[in-house]
Amino acid sequence: MELVCLGLNHKTAPVEVRERFAVGNTKLGEAARSLLETAGAAEGVVVSTCNRTEFYLAAEDAGEALRRLEDGLAEKVHGHMEPFYLHRKADAVRHLCKVVSGLDSMLLGETEIFGQVKQAYQAAHEAGATGPILNKLFQKVFGIGKKVRTQTSIQEGSTSIGNVAVELAEKIFGHLKDSEVMVLGAGEMSRLTAKALVSRGAKSVIVANRTHERALELAAEMNGRAVRFDDWLPVLKDVDVVISSTGAPHTVIHAKDIESVRRARKYRPLFLIDIAVPRDIEHAVGEIEEVYLYDIDALEQLADEARARRSQQIAECEKIIEAELVKLF
Amino acid sequence: MDRWFLIAATTLAAVAGVRGLLILRHGNKSLWTVWWMIAALLCQMGYLVIRGEMRGACPLRSIGEISVYLAWALTLFYLLVGPMYRISLLGVFTAPVVVLFQGFALLPGRLAANPEKILNTSPWGETHSAMSVLAYGALALAAVAGVMFLVLDRQLKEHHLKSGLFRNLPPVRELLVSLERLLWIGMILLTIGLVAGLLMPHGDGAWAHLIAAVSVWAGYLALMAVKRIRGITGRRFALGAVALFILSLGVFAFV
Repeated sequence: MELVCLGLNHKTAPVEVRERFAVGNTKLGEAARSLLETAGAAEGVVVSTCNRTEFYLAAEDAGEALRRLEDGLAEKVHGHMEPFYLHRKADAVRHLCKVVSGLDSMLLGETEIFGQVKQAYQAAHEAGATGPILNKLFQKVFGIGKKVRTQTSIQEGSTSIGNVAVELAEKIFGHLKDSEVMVLGAGEMSRLTAKALVSRGAKSVIVANRTHERALELAAEMNGRAVRFDDWLPVLKDVDVVISSTGAPHTVIHAKDIESVRRARKYRPLFLIDIAVPRDIEHAVGEIEEVYLYDIDALEQLADEARARRSQQIAECEKIIEAELVKLF
Repeated sequence: MDRWFLIAATTLAAVAGVRGLLILRHGNKSLWTVWWMIAALLCQMGYLVIRGEMRGACPLRSIGEISVYLAWALTLFYLLVGPMYRISLLGVFTAPVVVLFQGFALLPGRLAANPEKILNTSPWGETHSAMSVLAYGALALAAVAGVMFLVLDRQLKEHHLKSGLFRNLPPVRELLVSLERLLWIGMILLTIGLVAGLLMPHGDGAWAHLIAAVSVWAGYLALMAVKRIRGITGRRFALGAVALFILSLGVFAFV
């Protein structure tokens, strides 16, 4: 019995090609059954995410199974099979290990892929498409994936501005369930950053925007409330985090504004995120003792550093995978 | 024998601190710090039992004995309130202070080999000594939490966020809440110790000690009152806790 992986991902195929092979979460089991019929294989699993679709097969005659599978797929790419990559035997296992460890992901070290592969295997297992070979292989690979993630720093640090902001907010306030967030300027970046904070449990969101209707829309999306742009200062005494991205050509938040509410805030810590260019928050604001001010460059730099740190971990991760593969074969 | 227990306790605390720091430099947490500190506490208790037997009373009659009792109280509070913090990291900050106090006690002449037996003990006097030094344990740990806050605050203000220390420090708000709780515990114990001190029989020479103790108590009360009523920045609150603790050690000069 030979193991084979045929697939395509964000590195080999553009989204318009990937989407032709995408399989919804609820149809993964069905897709695995259909894979067995198409390829005439003994066992099969279909992994499908927004960045990849991969077919894992175990077959007595792997060459024949591959030929039949490629025939089935060729129609969707008009016979051009270049976006597909092929891994056989130990290479296929190595590739799967890299996938579950996040080494093959668009966002290096991301954690979601582990759950997605697990879900794909579970669906195939429940559909009766797996057997002793793939059952043993996937269980072993999940163990290796966990080992890679716990013994290296491949998933440490935040690699997007929104997540860096969340990480810093948690470093300042701990659990965000007691933290109120104010968004100044209802642009896309503010929306994403506020959404990241809300997803981590931020208590409430208050939105102020020059166009009040837009503030109302964003507030509704976040289950928060909107205030008129001229009324943001009195609100400041109650909030813990401010995300500012107004698009104004001049600074909007000045040191004197913060000074005016310090007493009312009882000098509690205040986290200011300035993602506007030109900047919304006067530099002197960062010199106020209880204020932690981060602009877009600082956040971007932190995300870059985390990406660099993760890249430095690739060799370490591969070393663990190779050591585990030696034990496996 | 008491000295050997003390040497063992000091060595164990030093191992906890150094080992924890080395592991921290690599960005990891030392899960063993707490166990080293538990072992240190057991040795401290061994010392206190033997020393107490020798004295026939609570061993708080010399500056060396007070230092060890203070180190014991600090270790005890660390192990009691540690779970509120990242326990291993608080241990890394606490261990050097324990080593400092015990190292001071181990200096020649600080601990008499055959201490004088205390024949006439007063319950108020014993309560005063024990509660006051226990309070100092809580206040010392508050100062440790204050130092942790000041380190984290500086790193956040200056955007120096790469170190293993930064990754392992608890959040700002949690540190400030723990700092305030520890100060309250210290204040309550100190108040009991002070009241007991007023009720115990004392000679004319005790007034300087009493005035110093009341001044320390008033200093902490003022800090807590400002925090509660007016509010204070985290940095000033932490600096206040650290400065007051260092100043408060002066009380022992009048023992």
